[in-house]
Amino acid sequence: MGVMTLLVICSIVVSSGFLLAFLWATRRGQYDDMATPSIRMLFEDRHTDESETEHDVRHSSDGTKQ
Amino acid sequence: MKQVLDEQLAISEVQPICAHCGDVCNDVRITADDLVFCCSGCQSVYEILQTNNLCDYYSFDHKAGVSMKGAMTDEYAVLDDPDIERQFVEFDSGTTRRLRFEIPAMHCASCVWLLEQLDRLNTGVLRSEVDLMRKLVRIDIDPRRTTARAVAALIASLGYRPLIRPEGAAGSSVAMRSIYVRLGVAGFAAGNVMMFSIARYVAGPDGMMPSLRLVFDVLSILLSIPVLVFSASSWWRSAWGALRQRRLNLDVPVALGILVLFVRSVVDILMGTSEGFLDSFTGLVFFLLIGRLFQQKAFDAVSFDRTYRSFFPLSVRVSKGEHEESVRVDNVHVGDTIVIRNGEVIPCDAMLVSSGGYIDYSFVTGESVPVECVEGRIVYAGGRVVGGRLRMTVTKAVSNGYLASLWNNADASVRRTSLLDLADSFGAWFTIGAVGIAGIGGLLWLPDISMALTALSAVLIIACPCALTLAAPATLGTAMGLLGRRGIFVKNVGVLLDIAKTNAMVFDKTGTLTESEHSLSWVGPEIGNELRGSISAVAMQSTHPVSRSVERLFGASLQTVTDVEEHVGAGIRGIVNGRVIAIGSASFAGSRNAYVEVAASVAVDGRPIGSFRIVPQLRDGIDTLVGALRRDHDVYLVSGDSSRDALAFEPVFGAARMRFNASPHDKIDVLEQLARQGRHTVMIGDGLNDAGAMRAAHVGIAVTEGTATLVPACDVIMGGETLQDMANLIAYARNLRSLIWFSLVFSMVYNVIGVALAITGTLSPVTVAIMMPLSSLIVTAVSVVGARWYGRRSQWVS
Repeated sequence: MGVMTLLVICSIVVSSGFLLAFLWATRRGQYDDMATPSIRMLFEDRHTDESETEHDVRHSSDGTKQ
Repeated sequence: MKQVLDEQLAISEVQPICAHCGDVCNDVRITADDLVFCCSGCQSVYEILQTNNLCDYYSFDHKAGVSMKGAMTDEYAVLDDPDIERQFVEFDSGTTRRLRFEIPAMHCASCVWLLEQLDRLNTGVLRSEVDLMRKLVRIDIDPRRTTARAVAALIASLGYRPLIRPEGAAGSSVAMRSIYVRLGVAGFAAGNVMMFSIARYVAGPDGMMPSLRLVFDVLSILLSIPVLVFSASSWWRSAWGALRQRRLNLDVPVALGILVLFVRSVVDILMGTSEGFLDSFTGLVFFLLIGRLFQQKAFDAVSFDRTYRSFFPLSVRVSKGEHEESVRVDNVHVGDTIVIRNGEVIPCDAMLVSSGGYIDYSFVTGESVPVECVEGRIVYAGGRVVGGRLRMTVTKAVSNGYLASLWNNADASVRRTSLLDLADSFGAWFTIGAVGIAGIGGLLWLPDISMALTALSAVLIIACPCALTLAAPATLGTAMGLLGRRGIFVKNVGVLLDIAKTNAMVFDKTGTLTESEHSLSWVGPEIGNELRGSISAVAMQSTHPVSRSVERLFGASLQTVTDVEEHVGAGIRGIVNGRVIAIGSASFAGSRNAYVEVAASVAVDGRPIGSFRIVPQLRDGIDTLVGALRRDHDVYLVSGDSSRDALAFEPVFGAARMRFNASPHDKIDVLEQLARQGRHTVMIGDGLNDAGAMRAAHVGIAVTEGTATLVPACDVIMGGETLQDMANLIAYARNLRSLIWFSLVFSMVYNVIGVALAITGTLSPVTVAIMMPLSSLIVTAVSVVGARWYGRRSQWVS
């Protein structure tokens, strides 16, 4: 039965990781706007001279630098 | 994009459609590049987009553009004031400043696309990101290269006027995040605890090794503690707050129920008497949070606070010697000379020092015919200037103005809604009843202390009114979202229960039963098209609203007018095709028919030939609506307007239930009197002049054209075209109330039977463990499906 105890504790630890990931995503504002991204993905990418990387980075909207 | 434009052109053969906003071009039409525009504003937006190669805008939605008719763009000078700008700044690092604007006009994929391309129109913009549901745009700017004012003016020039209002931007996502986090923790704990419990139930009392059982017990308790402390914390706070004020609300028995559930489970586990109910405890908190989520989602989707636009100006131009300066309204002093332009609202009581133009007081008094501006006249806060630019001397500072007094009256009392009433009174009786029964049950077992405690806690657990805290938000939240999609915006869920109770209804007239724009009819002998054109041509020289209506009635005219002279307060005279045409008051046109309903008389070469009469534009279906409402409501008409339309309304309301020339305070009196008679009242109005009355009524409903009007103090906002759905709304609200009662009774019976069976040992513990969350699931399903079903079954007009 020792192995059962070990497995149970392992599974709790692993699922805690998922919980923490969820909490992190929520606090970063990933669930704030569920409507606009579904529209945004329909637009063509812009091919301009400016660096592409800058506007591809998804900023968090909660102003973490405050 | 080409294809969309081609399609629009094809339609435009028959009925010209503006290439920018997609509206039908009625009178004014501008043609450029083979495209048709309804106004020069729309054309200029198109040109901006074309020069910047942004015409993809038109490919995402047919009616992408926002009509530019009547738009003003230079109202953003206030943003140069750092105090005001700060309200729109989310963070500022010196090189990057993130601005947040609310833009009520955004509505489709094209809007999102264009607003996220702002960096191509202004190099100072670093990036912009849209939140379509909350109608927000976040714009990062480089403060060294551009200003908030320039950005605001830029998006306004594209047709997306940002909301500038004194109380600062509302509506944050913090509430939603907090619910998600609590829900995540509760769900995590509930899932894991349930696994342990089911393993134990299946194994039976002796089927599990004591060491493993110990691990399960310890883990269950450890997982439940964050649920108790963190996920359920809002109930502790609410219940504790109520108890400290010596009140009982519905959260008291809920808090008591879950606390007893937790304590009893932990005691049982520690004593080794049973496996406890920690699975039920965590599951219950999880479902209660889902109820909260419904409430918050509905609130966000309807975005009540964001659907109306500011009415009161933030700043005003003060004339100082040669130049004018933009000053915040609270810094305007008595004696200052202010300048108010066409379309702007007068922020404070003042005396005119210039003539010309008119003031429309329909917001404040409900009177639909505007007042002439003559030098020396006192004008009141809340009037809107039509046609002209007025200078005036401030006689009262802003906070003393008529508008401010109405506003303050309206906001003075904090209203309690029915859901709170229901929940609070229900909560009080419930708590007293449950604690009483639990106490008696405990006393009956008394010599046997452990049995007494068992009975006591069992009753408290059954009596936990979770179904009500789950059913009401789920039902009403679903209904709120449904109504929002039909153009009926409800402030909060409790309002729907208020609506279900009403039995007296008071209508305002102007803008509510009638369209806000009045129209005219010609009274007099038939006149030929050529003379009609001449009259219209003279009327077009004036900005008076009546002249505009004449132009609409007779059609725009290209005839040349010479020797135009406009006499303020009297009328206008001009020569067309050699004939002197005079339009104006009876004395001005030499007519003897000076009735109130005559808007203007007309004379040709000094001989009166007829007059224009104001026709109230009744909204469609008002008589059937009032007829339907009168079956179970007393319906009254109380208007601030003069009684000139009384005859039109008499067959609908009956002479005894109509009242005209009522001041805003008279309206409040009418409603208070009805309330004293024990009636549950609804006030349906449109303007600020009804704000006090809406506050005095149990439910205040505002009828608006579009979303352009600010309506303080109302509980429901309906579009003018949805007014006919009023009777359906009331029927729907009553159905919802029955649905909530059904859920409540169902869950009580379910819990009583379930626990009775569990105590007598008829059911196996596994069944009980499944049945407990099942009841919450059933209540949620009945609430959501029922609210949708009733909504679909109603014969909505719009």
